[in-house]
Amino acid sequence: MNGYTNKILVINLSNNNIQRIPTQRYIEQFIGGRGVAVKLLYELTPKNVNALSPENVLVFMTGPLTGTLAPSSGRIDVVSKSPETELLGGANAGGFFGPELKYAGYDGIVIIGKASSLIHVDIFNDEVEIKEAQHLSGKGVFDTVKALRKDDKDTQIACIGPAGEKLVNLSGIAFSMRNYAARGGLGAVMGSKNLKAIAVRGTKGLDVAMPDQLRGIAEKMRERIKKMPSYQEYPEWHYKLFRILESDSKSFFGNYEDTAWKERFEAYENAEQFIKSAEFKSETCFGCPLRCWAYIKVKDVGGAGIAACQGTLTSLVNFTKVKDFGKIWKAYLLCQDLGLDTSGTSASITFAMDLYSKGILGNSDTDGLNLVHGNGDALLSTIEKIAKREGLGAVLADGVKSASEKIGKEAEKRTVQAKGGLELWLMEVRPFKGAALSCAVTDSGSHNRATYGLCEFYYLSMRKEAETAARNLLGTEEAAIPTKYEYKPKLVALYENLHILADSFGVCSIPFMPVGLELWTKAYNACTGMETTPMNLTTAAERIRTFERLFNIREGLSRKDDMIADRLFNEPLKDGAWKGEVLDKEKFVEMIDAYYSLRGWDHEGKPTQETLKRLGLE
Amino acid sequence: MIVVDYDKCIGCRTCETVCSLTHEGRINPAEARINIVKYEETGTNIPMLCQKCEEPACVAACPMKAITIDASLGAQIDYSRCIGCKMCIMACPIGGVSLHPASKRIIMCDLCQGDPQCVKSCPEQALEYIDISKLSLKKRREGVKKLARFLEEIKI
Repeated sequence: MNGYTNKILVINLSNNNIQRIPTQRYIEQFIGGRGVAVKLLYELTPKNVNALSPENVLVFMTGPLTGTLAPSSGRIDVVSKSPETELLGGANAGGFFGPELKYAGYDGIVIIGKASSLIHVDIFNDEVEIKEAQHLSGKGVFDTVKALRKDDKDTQIACIGPAGEKLVNLSGIAFSMRNYAARGGLGAVMGSKNLKAIAVRGTKGLDVAMPDQLRGIAEKMRERIKKMPSYQEYPEWHYKLFRILESDSKSFFGNYEDTAWKERFEAYENAEQFIKSAEFKSETCFGCPLRCWAYIKVKDVGGAGIAACQGTLTSLVNFTKVKDFGKIWKAYLLCQDLGLDTSGTSASITFAMDLYSKGILGNSDTDGLNLVHGNGDALLSTIEKIAKREGLGAVLADGVKSASEKIGKEAEKRTVQAKGGLELWLMEVRPFKGAALSCAVTDSGSHNRATYGLCEFYYLSMRKEAETAARNLLGTEEAAIPTKYEYKPKLVALYENLHILADSFGVCSIPFMPVGLELWTKAYNACTGMETTPMNLTTAAERIRTFERLFNIREGLSRKDDMIADRLFNEPLKDGAWKGEVLDKEKFVEMIDAYYSLRGWDHEGKPTQETLKRLGLE
Repeated sequence: MIVVDYDKCIGCRTCETVCSLTHEGRINPAEARINIVKYEETGTNIPMLCQKCEEPACVAACPMKAITIDASLGAQIDYSRCIGCKMCIMACPIGGVSLHPASKRIIMCDLCQGDPQCVKSCPEQALEYIDISKLSLKKRREGVKKLARFLEEIKI
């Protein structure tokens, strides 16, 4: 079928067997990308699979729109059993790898088994080779990419840094030198397979069903993207995001301790000055007009591409309270090169800083490091230790939950995590009942993979837009009010559906909502030649969502896992616009009940027979 | 000609997909007449395409006289004469001519017969289609703007 390449590459590293399976049989039910990936994971792994064993599989999956003319279509979804949460692990990356893979003739790659020594996979169109990669052992992402691009600079690379090789759960998979499938420990899964990198180059291209229609639709989509309120501002977001989070009262500082850190404006100012005085070039992902990326370079420190995202620079600053932005930039470069998820890494380090300030960790635990909030040098050295699993780094390497279990009871009381122990994406969730619910019920990743752009997020700064979105979706503006529990289960379910469709189409979730499902459906039809409707696609999203749940149930998930950290129920916010806000246990449980029922799941969160039948999943 | 403003390109590659869709009815950067050359380690994105030279090396190198010069569209390939010898690819100093990976035909920018689609679809207006005779004065005007900005910056 057009839009797809109709081949998925299945590589078994244990016996070097390389197969190609047709995509066709998965399309109707699971679309592509995230949907097909979870289906393959379920089919190809045994029950209770150990995430770091050869039996686990790692799935890279593009969607039918990836690499087409549809805007923002550079995405690839990566799915595996997560070693960090022991549940479904999923992360989605932009950049240029997904399109290149399709131009080489593949919709996806499935990695099974484990190589006997470090290898990399080299793909050029029909030629697929497994090559030894001992010379890349221990190499950072930047050097790995450079080495693998030596013969052809247009090669796209998926690789791990030293952190992934050391099976650090805070490690992600880098796509060339910038994008990451960062969360959930997928870098460790890749490391456990002795797979250092996948290099891909494709010149075969892609057929679409209705080229002329697609051109017209894509033009309209780009126009809508340019009308997004944030469009003009994106290139400035790299330093403005601090203040944008502040204007929505989504900021918190340290280990979820306060929302009004006195020195924050100084930190913001430092960030702004630093970035404004750096070499700065606006960048973007494949086919995307948004420019939420930039290449930033500071003389004598270094340069790299960076996304203006809550998970990158804002995470590093707000979690660690380091005001010296030169140190923050260095920390970012280190994470990027060592192969670490900046989000989870900064959350784990602030956790350790919190414990150190309370005396739960002492100087002997930190190897003499003065691990207080604000200490930029301590931040840098801890990042390196995490990647090497050295000293305190070995304690923190697998994330907050694992660290707390190693340190003990007092530490466990200070943790903040979403389902399965995954660190939350940077955002204060106590006032945002929808985000909190989303963190608890989502089956792969934190709420940034579940309900990106939920209208309650921007209620304070763009009230009119938030209310319009809520009215369009639920018929009431009240659904946009962050602190209201009512309407949130439905709102979360609706946003989840849209997010799943973006990840399954192979496009970015940021412009998905503003462009609207109607136009995405048209683009999908123009690419594939199908005649589907937004309603059919929504049913497919529900199917994928329920299937993600089925995977987690198979791996032992039950209702009690659908929870968020105790602290968010017990510690009301001390200051800021949402002073006094805290999660209410009773109302939270009611939200979960309502959410299950909307999804057609029973009281225990298990899909009912009726639901499985309706979705064709019996 | 198509004038590239290198400072404006964000590297999205929309020009490549639009180009291949327009000329080949499918999506493939390897079939596009324009490609963005990327250097990730320095954040550099440079769209490269046939520059419609005044004294085209490709024309001189072609043994079949299969590249003709149109007064307004510059060098154009006459496929009835082209034998696919690839001399033009070797002669072009900037990679403006390439080989279609599947059909092995010689391909180069034909300016979409005067309505270049890459220019239309560039989200940053990094590509512009203008009369060559107007180029220099336009560049000088832009130069003055930059100069004015610098003068403002160094004002004591």
